Amino acid sequence: MFTTPRLIVIALCAALNFAVGTIVYLIKLPIYLDSIGTILCALLLAADRKAAFVCACLAGGIGILISGLLLNPFLPWFVATVVAIALVTAFITANGALVFRARPMPTGAFAARVLVYGILTGLAAAVVSAPVVAYLFGGVTGSGSAFIVALFLKAGQQVLSAALLSGLTAEPVDKTLQVLFAALLYRATPGDFIAMLQAPEGAVRAKPQ
Amino acid sequence: MTPNGAILFGLIVIGGAMILGDLAGLSVLLAVCVGFGAIEIQGRTIKALAWSAGIVAPLLVFMGLVWIGVVGRSPAEIAAGLPGTRTAALLHVAIVCLRLFLVALVVQLVILRFAHVTSLQFIRAMTVPLTLKKLLVLTLSWIDTILHAVDRSRTALITAGVITPRLSLRNAGNGWILVQTVWLSVITIAIGRLRDKWPVENTLARLDAALKAAPQPLAMRDWMWISAAAAAIVIAKAA
Repeated sequence: MFTTPRLIVIALCAALNFAVGTIVYLIKLPIYLDSIGTILCALLLAADRKAAFVCACLAGGIGILISGLLLNPFLPWFVATVVAIALVTAFITANGALVFRARPMPTGAFAARVLVYGILTGLAAAVVSAPVVAYLFGGVTGSGSAFIVALFLKAGQQVLSAALLSGLTAEPVDKTLQVLFAALLYRATPGDFIAMLQAPEGAVRAKPQ
Repeated sequence: MTPNGAILFGLIVIGGAMILGDLAGLSVLLAVCVGFGAIEIQGRTIKALAWSAGIVAPLLVFMGLVWIGVVGRSPAEIAAGLPGTRTAALLHVAIVCLRLFLVALVVQLVILRFAHVTSLQFIRAMTVPLTLKKLLVLTLSWIDTILHAVDRSRTALITAGVITPRLSLRNAGNGWILVQTVWLSVITIAIGRLRDKWPVENTLARLDAALKAAPQPLAMRDWMWISAAAAAIVIAKAA
């Protein structure tokens, strides 16, 4: 499963998660965008769903581990969210891989798929993140969604349900954007590179001069 | 102290911070962490404390606004359907923030304890599968490559007038071009390395050799800190 090109793509996508996540975290945007690499990794390996899931999990896991050590020590708690995103992407979003790479771009089908897969990914992420937000952060993280949580708490909701409702409000928007960016990057990736990921170990050779 | 011992110590403290649910218990664990810092990294403990405080401060502000300012009662009071008090909300915020502070502090202490070794040396000494070590090293290498690509592409696009150096509407519209340019640069580098550079240099085999290390047993000092953290959790839990 772990051929050299696949190891490279896992590391590359983990680094992409870190780089984009860092920029968003540092300029305090009200979105996360730290799973683009995870989604992209699963899309790049869409031909082999099991490999797509495992590699996307590893890319996401390594991404949050490094971000946790260098940037935000609370990110590794969301490892279950990474698994959920990898699962949804590898087994659902990857169904749209052909549409994402179709030329010319079928705009309607492309947009519809991005929207549906983004919302599904967001719902899964919200459900899995809610217990962490409720227990580790007491329901309130340092983002703008804290005020949505406050609204639900004020209305008499329990911490867990307030965190879940807040997540269900914010996550689908964030994840739809992430699926859109990942799909566009997947579309821009050269076919040569995707072919390398499907090839067995040792099949990647220098081009004859 | 070994990297594996420091990681174990960190994991025990983090586990303890999650188990302990009162200020007194968390304070005992904080004392162990400060002791660890004072002995293992000495003067840099202040840096670790300041960094952790900086990470938790925005959360403290948000939590204070939400729990003390808006909600005005603690989660336990909400669950019991009681009217509640702001004092209970303040206590809840203090416990959550101290727990988060401990998590941030122990991570920073472990990082500073091994600040004198390179990432490669640290990863080499870890007791984890070789594939994971290789992935960690490759990821750190790609992070550098991506950041360089961001730098180069940004300069090129600014020169071409596609984006601007400061916040602008043009950046909002064309920012995507920067992301795409960076990705294409990185993919081109990846293809070049995979096909030509690494096979010639035998990079991956060399990396395997560099990362392979005999499992390092825990040192006496590791056991001392692991025992201290475990004992602090047991005492705080029993009290």
